[in-house]
Amino acid sequence: MQIVTENLSYVYSPKSKDMAVRALKNVNLTINEGDFFGIIGHTGSGKSTFVQHLNGLIKIQKGNGKILIGDYDLTDKKCDFKSLRSKVGMVFQYPEHQLFAETVFDDVAFGIKNFFPQLKDDELKSAVATAIETVGLNVNAIKDKSPFELSGGQKRRVAIAGVIATRPEILVLDEPVAGLDPKGKKEFIKLLHDLHNSFVKTIIIVSHDMNLVAENCNRICVFSGGEVVQVGTPKQVFLSAEKIKDLGLELPVTAYLTERLKEEKGVIVDNDFTENSFVTAVKKALKGGEND
Amino acid sequence: MTNLTFGQFYPAKSFVHNMNASVKILLTIAYIVAVFMVTAYHFLGFLACFLFVIIASIFAKIPFLRVLKSIKGILFIVVFSAILQLFFITSGNVLCSWWIFTITDGGLLSAGYITARISLMVLGASLLTLTTTPVDLADGIETLLYPLKFIKFPVHEFALIMSIALRFIPSLMEETDRIIKAQKARGADFESGNIFKRIRALVPVFIPLLISSLRRAEELSNAMDARCYASSKNRTKYKKLKLTYRDLLGTILVAGLIVGVVYLNGFYAFLTVAL
Repeated sequence: MQIVTENLSYVYSPKSKDMAVRALKNVNLTINEGDFFGIIGHTGSGKSTFVQHLNGLIKIQKGNGKILIGDYDLTDKKCDFKSLRSKVGMVFQYPEHQLFAETVFDDVAFGIKNFFPQLKDDELKSAVATAIETVGLNVNAIKDKSPFELSGGQKRRVAIAGVIATRPEILVLDEPVAGLDPKGKKEFIKLLHDLHNSFVKTIIIVSHDMNLVAENCNRICVFSGGEVVQVGTPKQVFLSAEKIKDLGLELPVTAYLTERLKEEKGVIVDNDFTENSFVTAVKKALKGGEND
Repeated sequence: MTNLTFGQFYPAKSFVHNMNASVKILLTIAYIVAVFMVTAYHFLGFLACFLFVIIASIFAKIPFLRVLKSIKGILFIVVFSAILQLFFITSGNVLCSWWIFTITDGGLLSAGYITARISLMVLGASLLTLTTTPVDLADGIETLLYPLKFIKFPVHEFALIMSIALRFIPSLMEETDRIIKAQKARGADFESGNIFKRIRALVPVFIPLLISSLRRAEELSNAMDARCYASSKNRTKYKKLKLTYRDLLGTILVAGLIVGVVYLNGFYAFLTVAL
């Protein structure tokens, strides 16, 4: 499913003049099926407001633009938000804070039961088991435990299992690696790629971590003051280093090093700002230097 | 959820904002007493109280509409009690009657009386909370409760609990909003079904909320311990509450209101006797 937004705007507390805040201004964005899409921008730039529109958690205000997701027209009064939400999964910041059930099984089954109440018991069981396995946990060891006796990393995995259990086609993640240790972060990113290779067709990730975005996304957009100021591949976006810095954002390490090599040594390493392409480009530049 | 005015501070630099919090609390209590002193159906007394609120909000530099908005939060209670009065008081002349409902002029008067009483009370109370930060409010209460120390009542701890509770209301509201959204994203439905279904639907919100409150409480107590917080009797105050001319003026104004209400009550009594 492709996501298209047209002139999407949003105002918080529109009724009171002194407190009204424009959170989004004319956002025109197309996210294609198959994208691993990154959204960056500093706090308060409208990123979260934007992604919460994508499954109807925030309703589009009248006359403030359009969103089309596949066949769903979110401005349509008849739009079936429940079915939309089963297709667009959303993982909030610190998803482990939303766990509530007595057992891991019940918590993961929550979404499935809500979206597909007609499912039979054995179908439910197998769907839950698949979800728990997908996030890399042992089903039998964990399913009858209370989610509150698990470790932090396990909790987060269980919470994500609860979201992907309904096999959403689009998965939106708001700051998913916040508070994870380096190992947990690595495993988590691997999980995202595994999901992207199976049933999740589109991944949208909101992050402050430029390295993560540069390394994993095929397209990114930059939000500032509620507007999309840049869209493109990580290479296109991070090449305009000055602009990124003006917005109070950081560059990924690769882009930063590329810039320093250019300024201090006059060496141009043309790369995509992923680790591999950076190393390849540096190797190439070194070889070129030997030949001189 | 966020447009609940009752209990929200309105930042401004004004005469009323600068008054001593404990004095303001006492004066609010005195004002409420004045509202309750207005004897039945003597609406001129209510008018005096209403004028007092208007004058006070001018002194507080708060738009009067903003003060009026505070009634919104308790609108249900006001309407509910007015309706009860309207239908269940059957004294006086019958104005109209339909099926089992009869409306009498007694009921109408009584409904108006109750409405005015509750609304004026809330207006006064929200003037206090609009002009006083929660921290100052807790400080003011602590000062007022000071005499209870002599019967070993833990006044300081009590004030601390109150200010922490006040401080965390907005945070908890934010948290609730987030959890509701997260569960909605997983298909939770809070808007349909009968009352029992809806209450059950709230379980996935309340449990995470409870857990996060406990976590916050633990973090806060650790942070306080780490800074060696102790509510010993030698604890000094960062902000000392002082009495100024403003407090004297405020007191005079409220005293004037009480005298006015008593006078108006008497005036009515006089009128009834004379006529």
